Amino acid sequence: MGGALRVWFRSKHTLFWTFAFPLLLMLLFGAIFSVSEDPSFDLYVQNQDIIGGDPSPFSATFVDMLNETPVLNIKMVDPAENTAEYIDEKGVERLLLIPEGFHQSCLTSNASIVLKMVPVEVDTSSATVRGIVEQIVEIFNTVTTGESPPEVVKIESESLVSENYRFIDFFVPGLIGMTLMTTGIFGAIGWNTRNRELGILKKLATTPLSKLEWIIGVVLFELVMCAVSTVVILTVGVLVFDLRVLPNIYSIILIAAGAITFPGIGMVIARFVKETDSADAAANAVSFPMMFLSGSFFPLEMMPEFLREIAKVLPLTYLNNGLRDSMVYGNASSALYNTAIVLAVGIVFIIIGSLITNWRED
Amino acid sequence: MSKEAVITVDSLVKKYGDLAAVNGVSFTVNRGEVFSFVGPNGAGKTTTVEILVCLRNLTAGKAKVLGFDVSDRKGQQQIRKRVGVLPQDFNTFDLLTVKENLSYYKKMYDGGMDINELIRLVDLEDKTKTLYKNLSGGLKKRLAIAIALVNDPEVIFLDEPTTGLDPKARRDVWDLIEGLRQQEKTIFLTTHYMDEAEVLSDRVVIISYGKIIADGTPSELILKHGGKTTLIVEEGGTEAHNILRKKFPDSKLENNDVLVPINNKSDLPEAVMTLNGNKTKFAELIVRRPNLEDVFLNLTGKKIVDGELS
Repeated sequence: MGGALRVWFRSKHTLFWTFAFPLLLMLLFGAIFSVSEDPSFDLYVQNQDIIGGDPSPFSATFVDMLNETPVLNIKMVDPAENTAEYIDEKGVERLLLIPEGFHQSCLTSNASIVLKMVPVEVDTSSATVRGIVEQIVEIFNTVTTGESPPEVVKIESESLVSENYRFIDFFVPGLIGMTLMTTGIFGAIGWNTRNRELGILKKLATTPLSKLEWIIGVVLFELVMCAVSTVVILTVGVLVFDLRVLPNIYSIILIAAGAITFPGIGMVIARFVKETDSADAAANAVSFPMMFLSGSFFPLEMMPEFLREIAKVLPLTYLNNGLRDSMVYGNASSALYNTAIVLAVGIVFIIIGSLITNWRED
Repeated sequence: MSKEAVITVDSLVKKYGDLAAVNGVSFTVNRGEVFSFVGPNGAGKTTTVEILVCLRNLTAGKAKVLGFDVSDRKGQQQIRKRVGVLPQDFNTFDLLTVKENLSYYKKMYDGGMDINELIRLVDLEDKTKTLYKNLSGGLKKRLAIAIALVNDPEVIFLDEPTTGLDPKARRDVWDLIEGLRQQEKTIFLTTHYMDEAEVLSDRVVIISYGKIIADGTPSELILKHGGKTTLIVEEGGTEAHNILRKKFPDSKLENNDVLVPINNKSDLPEAVMTLNGNKTKFAELIVRRPNLEDVFLNLTGKKIVDGELS
């Protein structure tokens, strides 16, 4: 016991990573759940009820009421935009459409607005946003018609997902993203650290093998591991849960990009991990915050603004978004955009890894 | 044996801050010889080897291996192709077999030795399919040496190849190195075992605190710095000591043994006859020739025990 404690205490790297990991988690979850500011939700609004070049009076009133709701972050969409194309292009997850003739219909108590959202299974905040919009509609009805209003405006809901998917179908892309990250980061750090401790890295450094070749070898090995993991996840998903989302060419490219990016990140981290004992702690310290900050489990809108900003620089955010775009929404352009970002990050980390890996001694 | 120099080291210095791990070392290793770099732990042996195999940068001086400068990037590439290295404390992949391990490292080179021939060379034919983790310490070391040979190197660096092995395993490694010598391989061996250097080496360099303190063949060093042959009269005690010191005033009594320095050929029979003539009691007579341990002791005033100075 005493000996084990001394060994642990004298291993500076193990010490650092052992404390760094729980502290990072505490700071992370503390920041997520103790946020004092109310969350705000993006809502795109397209007002097509234009009269004489200006929004109709009722539609303008309705938009004003939306704007006065602090939890909604209203983003106006040009009425001339093609709604479907705009949603695809911008990766919009919530859009409220005020159709042409809204004003006239309000006068006959027969108006409707269309709320296009991703299903609650994909994003739990959809239910919150729908509740808020329902309250605003109720107030709008009261304001425009008196205290016992007939139902002037109705809400028509449309799903942004064409297929009738279930929870598992939305969950699996995130699970694949998380698996690619953990397999890549844990694998690369563990492999590098173990081989350094055995003296294998030193031996390889005496051969004609270059650092870059070694790193590419590790990355390709992890790519194979990631491919196997993905196949296992999908096979079990199909056989046990009747999974309906399956990878297409875009998601396969993205999976390959993710499978080389995270080992690349792992190789950079491995440079700073000296002992096998601290390898897992270091991998955890990096992968867990990324897992929670990249929208794998929590909608980003639940988090404070600064954490959302952090999420924007995490490659797992783009991997998750890209996988959902390609596998669930069938949005190829957005998937390719996310793929390009993930791939670029991977290439940068592989280059950094080859520069800083301690191949030779000082 | 050819006298072509394959390693030349001139005024080599390696510093870590103010500490000079290697401090102005110069030597030459010729093709086909077994060259031993001998000294205690921390003397600068491994640092020197790691500079020669391009694992470390030198601070000052010059070093060439097979004619290529170790500080030159292109030279380093050539050196890596043409030397074989067994790093200190090297272990390989636990869950690969003997053959799989050899195949793994062979892929790092163009060409090289046939794997089966290599397995025969290190006498691991019946362990081909055994996982590394299931090999004994001696067999692991033999495999490690085989790994250093996969590219059929011109120069083989073996850094402390027998440290931590039991006597039988050490002997096996010695036999293996002897076999390589017969194939006229150039071997650069580092060790803190003086007996190992004496048995295996054509030439020995002794290093202490980063500086070379002796350089020559084992017999040259022993002749020059080893001191005299000694007759040991075991359990002779005071009685034998008193009798012998009349004719051999330099004789000493140590732990009830009498140590008689032999200065010329006639001293040995005379000492024996003196003991017999006086019917002196003793347990055994041993003639002890000086060795490299005596050389080190005489040069530094210290012994090497388990790699450390004492």
